[in-house]
Amino acid sequence: MSFLPFLVTESVNALSQAALLFFLGVGLTLIFGIMRIVNFAHGTFYMLGAFIGYSAARFSGSFWLALGLAPLAVGILGALFELGVLRRLYRRDESAFLMVTFGLALVLTELIRLGWGPEALPVGPPVAFSGIVMLMGEPFPAYRLFLAGAGAVVALGIWQFLERTRLGLLIRATSQNAEMVHALGIDVNLVRSAVFGIGCGLAGAGGVLAAPLVTASIGMAATMIIDAFVIVIIGGMGSFPGSLLGAVLVAFVQVFGEYYVPDLALAFMYLVMLLVLVIRPGGLLGKEA
Amino acid sequence: MALLELDELTRRFGGLVAVDHVSMRVERGEVRAVIGPNGAGKSTLFNLITGVLKPSHGIVRLAGESVTGLSAPRICQRGIARTFQLTALFREMSARENVRLAAQAREPRRWQFYGGRAVFNAVGDRADAALERLGLSAIGDRPAGLLSHGDQRLLEVAMALAQEPQLLLLDEPTQGLSVEETAQAVETLSGLFAEGRMTVLLVEHDMEVVFRLAQRITVLHRGAVIADGLPEAIKQDERVQGAYLGGLA
Amino acid sequence: MTLLTEALILGLFAMSLDLMVGYTRLISFGHAAAYGFGAYACGWLLLHTSLPMLAAIPLAALLAGVLAIGIAWVCTQASGVSFSMLTLAFAQLLYAVAYKWTSVTGGSDGLAGIPRRPGPFALHVFVGRNGFYYLVIIVLLGAFLFCRAFVRSPFGAVLRGIRENEAKTLALGYNARLYKIAVVAFSYGLGALAGALYAPFAGFANTALLFWLLSGQVLIMVIIGGAGTLIGPISGAAFFLIVEHQLSNYTEAWALFFGLIFIAFVMFAPEGIWGLVRARFRRSAAESEYRRGVARAR
Repeated sequence: MSFLPFLVTESVNALSQAALLFFLGVGLTLIFGIMRIVNFAHGTFYMLGAFIGYSAARFSGSFWLALGLAPLAVGILGALFELGVLRRLYRRDESAFLMVTFGLALVLTELIRLGWGPEALPVGPPVAFSGIVMLMGEPFPAYRLFLAGAGAVVALGIWQFLERTRLGLLIRATSQNAEMVHALGIDVNLVRSAVFGIGCGLAGAGGVLAAPLVTASIGMAATMIIDAFVIVIIGGMGSFPGSLLGAVLVAFVQVFGEYYVPDLALAFMYLVMLLVLVIRPGGLLGKEA
Repeated sequence: MALLELDELTRRFGGLVAVDHVSMRVERGEVRAVIGPNGAGKSTLFNLITGVLKPSHGIVRLAGESVTGLSAPRICQRGIARTFQLTALFREMSARENVRLAAQAREPRRWQFYGGRAVFNAVGDRADAALERLGLSAIGDRPAGLLSHGDQRLLEVAMALAQEPQLLLLDEPTQGLSVEETAQAVETLSGLFAEGRMTVLLVEHDMEVVFRLAQRITVLHRGAVIADGLPEAIKQDERVQGAYLGGLA
Repeated sequence: MTLLTEALILGLFAMSLDLMVGYTRLISFGHAAAYGFGAYACGWLLLHTSLPMLAAIPLAALLAGVLAIGIAWVCTQASGVSFSMLTLAFAQLLYAVAYKWTSVTGGSDGLAGIPRRPGPFALHVFVGRNGFYYLVIIVLLGAFLFCRAFVRSPFGAVLRGIRENEAKTLALGYNARLYKIAVVAFSYGLGALAGALYAPFAGFANTALLFWLLSGQVLIMVIIGGAGTLIGPISGAAFFLIVEHQLSNYTEAWALFFGLIFIAFVMFAPEGIWGLVRARFRRSAAESEYRRGVARAR
């Protein structure tokens, strides 16, 4: 393959990967922005989305239904967890949050293992996008094109949501000054639950979308949370545009890294995380470390 | 040779000049107060001296040697001890344990990871002496977090004292204290300073406390020194009055 | 007997983590890296050299401790969540390396047939099942005495300061970072010691010993047992293992229950079982002191 088509196909490939990573990272960064906690279970919610999506798709025969149902289920689960558990810990120090969400990750992983077994489960892409398209003369899976597009649309949607809607305004305000919002008579706790639910739901959506491409398995949880964390660190904790930037950067590093130095791609990722943490702990776009 | 020399010390935060070419000399044994309206740059000045912030320009000299740019722990080791505006203590530990940890920081074998009886004995004596001087011996075993606000402020001073510093920096020691607590603190501190061996740099808002304790006063306004002299002279100084009442050009 | 031996090995593993988590509040999500490395290193030494077991075990632990200085230097560059994520990242990295470097680590199969080589001087006593059990007891006891002296030393006092208010320790003149690096190195070294005992105990070493689930389980042992007590984590490990053995006969979901219990402890009893016991004891000791004082005053 000559270079330009290669560059284009691999770049679109990276963009589709970025879309998935964006779904993973944006929730984590929103949650951090509002609650100043890192949800260690975030990667597990992603995984849960994939497995629930698998069951929903099998049961109904429709990928689209799965795409609608799974994020909803995951989001509700997340909101309930915030309500039942996290809310009691706001007066404690951050290590308590870390450990509790870690515990949640373990519990969810075990639930998945019990519910669906330790093996990877196959999910087929929706019929509409299961074919091949030609990109610059090279065959390219239509589904990945769909993903790249979906990612862009959702990013736009979230941006508009944050900028134009009342809830979006509340979210931005609470992430800057929760006390003030509370003083204005808004139930900040409700905003927090909503954001946690939305964040987890987005992760779940990412999981469903990823399912046709990646073999969902238990070992994913640790990798995913590290990926999510790297994205958010690069872009800056709490920064929505940062999560987009982080997702794109990480995706490109992963895709091109996998091509040129396959065995070192993993180490490379951690090196990137290290460098960012050391040089700019606030992330490239973020406000605080 | 002055104990502390500041030479054109400057610190900028983006466009804001928080400390503006401040030059100052503090002699050994002197008790110097730094006053100024809010935002004058007093806490930033302290942070520059103790190494928490690096200056944009200028030099800090301790006993003739430049300590500019050294890390905060290093500068502390050179003999500067400080208290904070917002009380910083080890709340779960007892008052005595707080002071012991402070004293331990100046022990050559403070990092010893086995035994340590010699270290602990030396530290214990210094800690008890410091608590005594601050009148805190009675509450030595109480957890620091449960002490009254006044006692907590004094505990911080005891911790600084236990480090046997050349220079003691007190950042608003009577902050948040009631009238009685302030009077008691001033009594204790003036007794401490009267022993004559301490060099003290003191930031204070309460003018009565300042006039009670300070031998010399430096006045900051918008980051720069606008007056420097004996308390009586400062009281009369028009520029100082103008700065506090607002609106110096 | 074997169950008890394994419990003691896990107890050592948990106690090593307590130095970081309980005494310095450095939450590590990657402690399995120490355990797995110790197991692999010792296993490799026993398989590919003629070193006796009594030499391979401490050597593996020492190697881990030295390497951990580098890891600690990197991880302490950050704090809080970032620190924890970095520890996890290192463990994941080690896991990936062990998985892929088949020539050295045996890939996903791991190392098998690890011998308990006797010696030096034809010392046979620790090789058999009972003998090995006594070896583990001796090592655990020694490590416990070391840790106890460690946390009671001046160094330990500084760790406590770092745990409660790191900024203040810096203001007092302590180079907090060096202390953190040192405690992480000790912690990983002792964790690797446990792993190095495991390899000849079980006769194998595989990637499960580096997996993040193990890092999670040992953290659970520390918290439920009682962080910052040394004994708590040891008993937490024993408790965990015994329950795992009993419950796994009845239900596949025992790990799930443990996760839930863990969450409950973090929420409602963060001082852990041993921590609660000590608090009760202290309260009743204070009670009797008070009564004695009142009686004397009369």
